[in-house]
Amino acid sequence: MSEAIRLEDVSKSFGEYEAVKDVSLTIEKGEFFSLLGPSGCGKTTTLRMLAGFEIPTEGRILLEGEPVEDVPPYERNVNMVFQSYALFEHLDVADNVAFGLKRKKVAKDEIRKRVEESLELVSLADRAKSHTNELSGGEKQRVALARALVNEPAVLLLDEPLGALDLKLRRQMQVELKQIQREVGITFVYVTHDQEEALAMSDRIAVMSDGEVVQCGVPEEVYEHPAEAFVAGFIGVSNLMEGIVQGKDKVKLASGQSVKAPLPEGCDKGEKVQLSVRPEKITLDDFERGMVTLEGTVAERVYQGVNTQVTISLGDGASVVALEQQTYRASADDRWEPGAKVKLGWHPDHCLVLR
Amino acid sequence: MDGLSLQWYQEFFNDSALRDSLFASLEIATVTMIVGTILGTMLAIGLVRSRAKWSPGANILMLVPLVVPEIVAGISALLIFSQVGLTLSIWTVVLAHITFSISYVTVVVRARLASMGTETEEAAMDLGATRWGSVRLVLLPGLWPAIVAAGLLTFALSFDDFVLSFFTTGEDVQPLPVRIWSAIRFGPSPTINAIGTLMMVVSISAIGLALLIPRLFGRRESGVKVLTAAEGG
Repeated sequence: MSEAIRLEDVSKSFGEYEAVKDVSLTIEKGEFFSLLGPSGCGKTTTLRMLAGFEIPTEGRILLEGEPVEDVPPYERNVNMVFQSYALFEHLDVADNVAFGLKRKKVAKDEIRKRVEESLELVSLADRAKSHTNELSGGEKQRVALARALVNEPAVLLLDEPLGALDLKLRRQMQVELKQIQREVGITFVYVTHDQEEALAMSDRIAVMSDGEVVQCGVPEEVYEHPAEAFVAGFIGVSNLMEGIVQGKDKVKLASGQSVKAPLPEGCDKGEKVQLSVRPEKITLDDFERGMVTLEGTVAERVYQGVNTQVTISLGDGASVVALEQQTYRASADDRWEPGAKVKLGWHPDHCLVLR
Repeated sequence: MDGLSLQWYQEFFNDSALRDSLFASLEIATVTMIVGTILGTMLAIGLVRSRAKWSPGANILMLVPLVVPEIVAGISALLIFSQVGLTLSIWTVVLAHITFSISYVTVVVRARLASMGTETEEAAMDLGATRWGSVRLVLLPGLWPAIVAAGLLTFALSFDDFVLSFFTTGEDVQPLPVRIWSAIRFGPSPTINAIGTLMMVVSISAIGLALLIPRLFGRRESGVKVLTAAEGG
């Protein structure tokens, strides 16, 4: 694979405010790449720099090897799907889609052909002559997508494109977007604050916080091996427990108990760390060999259908959340009443030490 | 004088002086509408889209003509024209009318502009349109109903304006409202009533069109917004 986009030490300031700090990223051709982070983390500014709406204060942006940081949006071979769709209300669906091709002075016959094809791609072939305000939210989103894809850009930029849709439609569009991306093979750069969406759709994710990229990797890596407490907390639910390094692979928790945990390199004795265990990795009262076990009191139990969420107080102000699957063995109804003493445990491999 | 008659309308059209005044008023209103709408639209775009430091100041300045009593505006215009040595004519009336109509246009167009947001223009540029192209191909078509409504509103305001016209008119043919006023001083005539009716019809048609056109363009929101914005001003 060759690279589609390379960001080299890109920073962007608005007056005193530093929106993006020293971001370096490489995005491969054909990749579905997500920029994930809470609002104000700089992900949209980064995307807008790729589109050409913002010029970086420092650093370089290379599009297919060519520096583009000073190239205006209308001369860049990238297209964007906006959160608000930004359809042209005075044009019908087909003219909206044809807009980019007309600017490029493509021959009329070819415009017609390509508009038809891209409307077919987003399953809107029968709405070509519709007025944009007759469309539903999901349909508008598809028109916006077709309008961008018809230009066959080197990179498609998507700014929270599903943010305004309801949950069910969003799930459906996630699947469709991914299918379309596979079909056209264009590089997608996708901005979202929804971690589930990013995990489900992306080939790789860059997690951003305060204008910086804190971790970049495939979804499994970002979820299973978060580089920082921020990532662990932002992606999925994470149980963070305070502790002090006691020795080789030994951490003393605030409750006083020592547990086995794989330490990252260069951890000194006495160093303060955080232990992170995902809720689905914690088991209650049913242990295998080699597991770390602790004792606690059930604080709360929430039945969620597929599973039951149990919050366990560890007695020192700390608490952890465990998810119990409703398997045939579990009869959660008669177990774990609030106030009950319970033993919990996890495999040391599933526990992550964050500094 | 018994029963219904169109006699007084006929008299009006036979009176060449009155007819000239009508044409003068129509001319003033048309020029005011065209120039005022263009300038007002440009100002609205500038005020909403510019990040310049003086933008808030210009914003307040723009609203001044809407709140200043017309008689003050009329006397000020007269003072300025005589100080810079402009001979009062039909064109000084036009200048005065344009000055105050810009504010109306700006208020009306700005309301629509603010509701459109910047993303459609960015989308146009993203799809290969230059900055000017995005204005021409996306912004202006989007603003069109508001621009037309603002233009018609200015036409109506200019056509039946008396105070400003009274202070700024000169030796030329007087605008119709000023002519009517002079005529009344020599005693009321039924012709005046006929003219009054005609003027009302023209003004109401213009305002009616201003209301109707945004609807015909298929945008429910802008027509209502445009007029509430105008009333608010």
